[in-house]
Amino acid sequence: MQNSFTQKYLRNKVVWLYIVSGGFVLGTTLLGLLVSSVTIPIPTILHIVLDNSLNLGWLADVPRNEEMIIWNIRLPRVLLAFCVGASLGLAGAAFQGLLRNPLADPYTIGVSSGAALGAVSVLFFQVTIVGLGSFTLPVVAIVSGFVTLLVVFGLVRLSSRGLAIETIILAGIIISAFIGAVTSLIISLGDRDAMTQIIYWLYGSVGMRGWSHVQLIVPFMLIGSFILLIHYRELNALALGENTADHIGVDVKKGKTYILIGASLLTGAAVAVSGSIGFVGLVIPHLVRLLTGPNHRHVLPLSILAGGSFLILADLVARTIIAPKELPIGVITALIGAPVFAILLIRERIGRGDRSD
Amino acid sequence: MIKIEDLVGGYTNTTIINGLHLEIEKGEFFALLGPNGSGKTTLFKLITGQLPIKKGEILLSGKPISSLSKLEKAKKVAVLSQEVHVSFDFTVEEIISLGRYPHQKGVLKQLSKKDWQVIEEVMEITKVSHYRKTQFRMISGGEKQRVLLAKALAQEPELLLLDEPTNHLDIKHTFQMLDLLKERQQSMGLTIFAILHDLNVASLYADRMALLHNGAFLDVGDVNTLRKEGQLKKVYEVEVNTQSHPTVPKPQLLMTPNHSLHEEPFLFKDLYKIEQNDQYIHVRFDKPLRTISNGVIGEGIQWVNHFCNFHVKKNYDCSNPKQDIRMWMEIHDIPYEQAVGMMTAVKLKDMVVIEKVIEGIAMLVIVTAGVGNAVDITTEAKKSRKTKVGTINTMVFVDANFSDGALVNGYMSATEAKVKALQELQIKDPDSNTIATGTSTDALLLALTQNGKQTPYAGSGTDVGKGIGQMVYDATLKAIRKYLERVKN
Repeated sequence: MQNSFTQKYLRNKVVWLYIVSGGFVLGTTLLGLLVSSVTIPIPTILHIVLDNSLNLGWLADVPRNEEMIIWNIRLPRVLLAFCVGASLGLAGAAFQGLLRNPLADPYTIGVSSGAALGAVSVLFFQVTIVGLGSFTLPVVAIVSGFVTLLVVFGLVRLSSRGLAIETIILAGIIISAFIGAVTSLIISLGDRDAMTQIIYWLYGSVGMRGWSHVQLIVPFMLIGSFILLIHYRELNALALGENTADHIGVDVKKGKTYILIGASLLTGAAVAVSGSIGFVGLVIPHLVRLLTGPNHRHVLPLSILAGGSFLILADLVARTIIAPKELPIGVITALIGAPVFAILLIRERIGRGDRSD
Repeated sequence: MIKIEDLVGGYTNTTIINGLHLEIEKGEFFALLGPNGSGKTTLFKLITGQLPIKKGEILLSGKPISSLSKLEKAKKVAVLSQEVHVSFDFTVEEIISLGRYPHQKGVLKQLSKKDWQVIEEVMEITKVSHYRKTQFRMISGGEKQRVLLAKALAQEPELLLLDEPTNHLDIKHTFQMLDLLKERQQSMGLTIFAILHDLNVASLYADRMALLHNGAFLDVGDVNTLRKEGQLKKVYEVEVNTQSHPTVPKPQLLMTPNHSLHEEPFLFKDLYKIEQNDQYIHVRFDKPLRTISNGVIGEGIQWVNHFCNFHVKKNYDCSNPKQDIRMWMEIHDIPYEQAVGMMTAVKLKDMVVIEKVIEGIAMLVIVTAGVGNAVDITTEAKKSRKTKVGTINTMVFVDANFSDGALVNGYMSATEAKVKALQELQIKDPDSNTIATGTSTDALLLALTQNGKQTPYAGSGTDVGKGIGQMVYDATLKAIRKYLERVKN
């Protein structure tokens, strides 16, 4: 009796979480479309979006400039923010699950800086790989992110037997510092203009990108998310450690490889279109886990929703707080994320009291 | 169930396992014993596939283990190791449901009804249902291990590998855990292959066992493998004595530490104090003596400091003598856990104490005697018998070192001497009118300082045996004479 009741309650709680998160995404999207220097009424916004996407418009004449603002500037910006936030949130959840460490995220283990180096090189040298066209930037960013990950893991393997968590994070920080230096070197080789542009890009932003960038990230985001979502059971099993996961029949090596590839795809693509935006991958999975518990079956999809809407909000703050000027979005996420993370860490220590006898 | 043929394997540069053969039947509890570094865990890793097999084969139900996929293997073999660190706040139920991983089917890999049934069942057996929603890291070590066992059982394995599963558990949880496993083995025919560190626990639970030494089996056999002290000593480099469990017909091992207590040289005479009054005789030794006795308390072979003989009334109600003696000892501040207690209706004033050194061995004998109940043990028993004053209580203390066999030997020697004394005085069994061999309730204790070199024998063919005999004979004679004197008056 009581069991089925609690189970039902829990299932309902999860369902509610999905509903609330979904609503949050829609709400922040609308807010992102609404709030700006030019105020456009909500019905008009909805009309423009539906008319352009599904041909379902009902208003007779909408000013051309309003349509331009909503469809060509604000909507891609909001969508891009969502995609980047979702990718980073999901990648963070995957890295944390895989490395069994709440401190892991694309930044702490060096993937982001690797991807950033790749992206900066493409921007700086203006190269285009034949056959990839405009996809050169994300592909190079993803590949260099993945290579960085391999380098980090190689360094860990050389320095200690077994993938000790602390060593991974240390190696990640070392490699990040090194790559950061190389990136700075490249930047300083350029002229003043290119320098400002790239530095600003590195701070992270989803503004002034347009539909082309949405098109760049979406395919990678879909593939990466798919890979990670179908591996939720492996991520759960890895929480017991690799040996135990192996004992219950998990192909640890294969699972790990897929998860790393998926997470690198997401991180690389996100960095390629928006630059370095920190703390999303660190904080979002934490918050989600607080609400749902650690089961990756829910942590992963909810991290997508929460990460997406968080970044839409962050972007909103970034462009309104000192309007008409804009703050880099990475500054906002760090300003919010770092204290939140610190609170979470302290709460964990004080609130629970680990019992490890 | 599992068959290991000429197995060689280990780490890349060194082979740890060198040519093992082993077959474990279905439904067996097989224990793998051996010191650290002997290759036990390596053997397990070769079975689970975490380390590569260099030569030979492991067959699981006739199929080479290397031909099975990870999922197929996980359906047949589950592993329970020492405490697992679980990251994140997974609940007990979530951890256990991970055991269903190899059985999950379909695209979505959801937990099916069948999966939940199994999960409920294993939570029931391992008694963890009531904290299913509790976070794993919040429960105690013993509970954690039960949860991990539940997870392993949720795999519905045919073979369960246990890698020191009770290593950090207290005895309560160790036995709880192993009882649970044993139950599962017997009711479901689960095959259990366990690395166990505690040889005594292995003796109590395992059907068969193997002793691994430097990557090879020194011995494979049933529980009595543990009776081979020599090979245990060779493997573990610890002095080991095999004893029998008092209630379970299995061997138990006693380890002797290499460090020895530094002992000041002592004089036997200075070791004890005798206190005698109307209520009791109390012989108190400064150090515990290895003692064999049939006392009311402290019976059997024990290490004991205090030796008491209590006076009781002729019509003493002997419905609960153990409790009475403990109570009396408590009144007189004698710790009864370290004491042998006897009782007699004889006047304690009449005790006979003889102290002598025979062939360089110091001895002390204390006898109280009454022969009112004299019995010839070889004649038929008479049912109605009046209780009279009459018991011969003998305490023999010897400054020597006896083996357990010598203790029994010495005990016989003392008994023979007592019989001889009764014969000498022509004490008769009043019922049969033949010469008595003792009284109906005689008590005897033989206590040794265990000083000096160990003696294996103490029968009538040895000096010490003869010494015991002479002293007991003399003392018993004197004591009976005193009794006869008192009865006459």
